[in-house]
This record gives sequence, C-alpha cells and structure tokens, in this order.
Amino acid sequence: MDMRPADAQHWIERAAPTHPSLIDTSHQTGHLFGFINIPMAIWINEDGVIVRNAESASIERSPLRDAEISESLPEPVKMLLTEVKNIPDHSEAYRAAIVDWAHRGSESPYALAPDEVIARSRPRDQSTAEATACFEMGQHLASQTPANMDSAITWWRRAHDLDRSNWTYKRQAWTLATTPEGAEENDLFQDASETYGTSWIRDVVAGGGGANYVVGPDLDPVVG
Amino acid sequence: MILTDIDRVTAAEFAAGTGWEPKPEGLCRGEICVPAPTALRPDGTVDVAVAAARLGMPMVHDATHGLHALGPGSSSGHQLSTAVAADPELLDSDLNPFRLSRLHGRKVLLVAWSSY
Repeated sequence: MDMRPADAQHWIERAAPTHPSLIDTSHQTGHLFGFINIPMAIWINEDGVIVRNAESASIERSPLRDAEISESLPEPVKMLLTEVKNIPDHSEAYRAAIVDWAHRGSESPYALAPDEVIARSRPRDQSTAEATACFEMGQHLASQTPANMDSAITWWRRAHDLDRSNWTYKRQAWTLATTPEGAEENDLFQDASETYGTSWIRDVVAGGGGANYVVGPDLDPVVG
Repeated sequence: MILTDIDRVTAAEFAAGTGWEPKPEGLCRGEICVPAPTALRPDGTVDVAVAAARLGMPMVHDATHGLHALGPGSSSGHQLSTAVAADPELLDSDLNPFRLSRLHGRKVLLVAWSSY
C-alpha cells in the first residue's frame, strides 16, 4: 500500500520474492478488505472466498521487542521502544494457523465460514466511511500534476480525525511529509508535527499505547 | 470513488467505482439488490446523490477543485457485506495491471505491507 510505486518497488527488488508482489497505489485494499495497519492479512480460498478477515499478520517476533532500553537513549527513542514492546505479539500462533490452513484447507479450525468472516470484519459507520472518501480525495489531489499537496493535507487531516484507528491513512500521509521522495529509508519516528501536529508515538500513546495498536488475530476455535 | 462531474456518471462508471451495478430493479451487487427507483436515469446516467443515500455512502465535495469523492457503503455496519473477495485492479512489480482473480484455484494469503 504505497501511493508512489517506486517506494514499494525497491523493497520488492531487494526481497526478490517468488510470489506475486502487488502494489496498491490507492489504498483500495484498505476499505475493500479491512487493512488499517501493516502487516495485516486476509486468507482467500481457492474459490475466491475470504476465510479469515483482516487481522494483524506478523509471523516472526520483531528484534525490537527484545531490545534493551538504555537510560542513555534519547527520550523519543525510549518512548518508541517502550510502546513497540507493548504491542501484542501473536506471531508464532498466527504463523502456525497459516500453516494449518495451508495443509488442511476448509478442515482447518482457523478457516471461517462466510457469516463469521462478515461478522468479524471491521465495523463501518458513517464516520469511517467518510474518512475513506476524504482520504481518496486527498490521494487524488496529491497525485495530480502539479500536486495539490496543501489541499491533500487538508483532506487527509479530516480523514485522520474521522477514523483515528486507521494507521495506514495516517502513516501514508505522514511519510509523504517527513520523508523526501527517493529516500532509501523512511523517517522511523514519523514525526509529522509541523504538517499534521502529531507523530506516530503521540498518536499511539493517545490511543492507549502499543497494546491497542494492532488488530490481534482471534485464533480461538469457533463454537457452535 | 472520485467524481469529476457528478451529473454525468454512467452506470458502468458507477459500477466500476463502487461495485454496485445500477439496474432497473435497483442497485445490485451479486444477488443483493437495493431498491432505488430513481437512481438510474432514462439516459443511462446515475443520480449519484440518490444512489449514495440508498447505499449509505457518504459523499464529500471539494469546491475549489470541483470534485466529489464517494465513500464505501456503511449500511451493513461492517466492512464486508459478503465473503466473496473483491477483485481490485492492482499493479505487479513491473507496474502491469494484476487482478486477484488471476489467483483463483489457489489459496491466497494476501498480506498488506508498505514502505512506511
């Protein structure tokens, strides 16, 4: 999910994957499937039917979780690492669930019935739906030549206010403000204070901290 | 869905942008049809305001640039109204169009990632 294809392409080239790597320049997979942060995933069966809805999809433990938080570190780094450690880690169980589904298909207890998939999908009210319209308006204006970035930022701010837990809307917009085009690495701190009056860590803390940052997979067997 | 001229949206354009196909019997997606008697005009264009209201789609307007943006329907209360996966047109790494339906017949683990 990257507005600028080149931002994704160089990561794909470096990884040299054997599977299809697709670029969504309009964030349409966000509102179509429920991706509001990354990494998230859905499972689609051989018939094109979703059997698990969008949920956090880490499959290995981040080394940042085990990093020592030294007192000598700058305060922003300490805050960032503290909240990263607070993000729930479901990676081992989620990876095991994927493997189980790959082997057992519809017999896997992790493959859900259509009604369950719909029921577990993210709630959508008028506010979150309007956020999608605002974000798309911003994307359209930012993609014009020349880009109408001031107008785009106004629409993106509105999208962020309407859907505060949509991290892809925030992080895409913040990154465009904090990372020069063509940069090899993004601004880790995503401090968009000058443009958006906020930053990644400020919004994470405002949302209750790292514990609330991801849509954790519900891997309990379905009863009934 | 971005609308540059709200009065001249064809049924095909509306269907491509929203997944809802305007038909005489209503606004239809798969087997579901939402009655909307005046949404499809006799000339084949769509009264977007009527259709949006029936489907619970918010519409925002940028007067400076003469644009409207139509959000997704919210009437079902959930992001998904069907488990049948949508089939958006994405780009492969060489920037060629790629639809997920090309992968039918195989299990697909669709992982969202980004450079940010």
